[in-house]
Amino acid sequence: MKLFNLFNSLYDEDILSKLDFLLHIRLFEGIKKRSLIHVLENLQERTYLKGETIFTQGDIGRALFLVFSGKVALSRLDPSTQKSSTVAEVNPGEFFGEMALLEEMPRTATASALEETRVFILFKIKLESLLFARPKIGVVIASQLAKIMSARLRAIIDKA
Amino acid sequence: MPTETAGNRQNYSEYLLPLALLLAGAAFVVLARNAVFPFVLSAALAYILNPVVKYFEVRGIKRSYAVTGLYLTAGALIFFVIYLLFHFLSVEIESLQQSWPVYAERMQKFMVNLNATLINKYPFAASLKLDEKLAHYLEAVPPFLLGLLPALTLLFVVPFITFFMLLGGAGVIDYLLDHIPAKHAELVLHIASRIDSSLGNYLRGILTEALIIFLIAFSGLLLLNLNYAAFIAILIGISSLVPYLGAIVGAVVSSIVAYFQFAAFMPIMKILIFFAALRFVDDWIIQPYIMKKAVKLNPAVILFSLLAGGELGGIWGVIFSIPVTCVIKEIVQIVVELQETEFRWKPKPEPTRISIPYT
Repeated sequence: MKLFNLFNSLYDEDILSKLDFLLHIRLFEGIKKRSLIHVLENLQERTYLKGETIFTQGDIGRALFLVFSGKVALSRLDPSTQKSSTVAEVNPGEFFGEMALLEEMPRTATASALEETRVFILFKIKLESLLFARPKIGVVIASQLAKIMSARLRAIIDKA
Repeated sequence: MPTETAGNRQNYSEYLLPLALLLAGAAFVVLARNAVFPFVLSAALAYILNPVVKYFEVRGIKRSYAVTGLYLTAGALIFFVIYLLFHFLSVEIESLQQSWPVYAERMQKFMVNLNATLINKYPFAASLKLDEKLAHYLEAVPPFLLGLLPALTLLFVVPFITFFMLLGGAGVIDYLLDHIPAKHAELVLHIASRIDSSLGNYLRGILTEALIIFLIAFSGLLLLNLNYAAFIAILIGISSLVPYLGAIVGAVVSSIVAYFQFAAFMPIMKILIFFAALRFVDDWIIQPYIMKKAVKLNPAVILFSLLAGGELGGIWGVIFSIPVTCVIKEIVQIVVELQETEFRWKPKPEPTRISIPYT
């Protein structure tokens, strides 16, 4: 029993729960749990307080944000009416800003935290280094990204 | 527009305190630079070792256990290596003690002969007084070695400081990153991670390279049956941290030793061929494989930064010059890119016009 306790104290529960969390993210679907370690290595963590702006529409995007806990609102400013309206709410396990992983272009919406929110940030350059250093993981993320973008495009076409 | 100017003023005043803190910190570092030096070295070592700790950390092992384990393993390994080296070196030091008078005599004879032939052929060479200069250099060696002694205390102080730096982890940096204004967080983190990856790749690459070169040189010199192989190989390993220096130092030192040991031309030729081959292997096999992720630096830039580093900070300047150059190069690239994207100097073109919609 003592040995078991020692074994438990050796392990950091926090990290293990993060790995479990990543296992259920759509973007990382198809990556083995062992390989998710390398994904976690390349993620940056940050907490945003309620009301803080994560990025503003028109900023140059360089990273994807993955919500670990809390809630984020995405809003778009209509250039003709100068009115901002909420486009979507992002809940734990969902992500936003994935267009920045493909090209460094201005953000198309503003993201702000609706409550205290913990996010994982995946930078474009980190994804690129992952693509070269661990192609097996990089390819999965890239193809998931393509699927997600294609689904978005289809949704827009259907709406129009 | 009064509101806008008020907003601008507020914008500047919010950076006043952090800037003052930063300046005070910089001034303190400059004033106490001698005390700061071991901490800079420790920070560099901690930075190099951090990925090892992180390797275990992301696998779920607590940081304190990972750091302790790393130190125990490294300690055992270093003890083992030192034991081995002393085993090799003590034999060599003994043999050096015995054969030193012979070598010294031979060296002196060589110099006197050389001097005599030179003066014979070119009378103006007498005015250069080569023999006196050699004696001067030989006298200067012991004080130089004594001057290296304080550096030995660093060997004990630096690992000690590094241990606590590793234990604390990147806590301080994380704290700062967590408290920068949210709107700038993405950009700051982007810049930090770019510098981190370019510098980290370079440092890890060059250390691995030095270790491999040390191993190759050691086994090669043992095979060539050269005296003091361990000592020369260590010298080569350390000097190969500075680009291009390793093979040159190795070739020069080994051929001098070979000249005294064999007093023949063939062994020197063999050694020169060996080092040419080592340089070739380094350039064509080791470097492309290890340094493929690291920053590419032009040889001219490397030479310039080595000279500039030497002028600014002596031997430590030379050692730190290449990493600093990596950081500078990355910063320049980031600045250019920011000017292009943030300030629309040269906006990136749209990838391709999608000509066929709805497919």
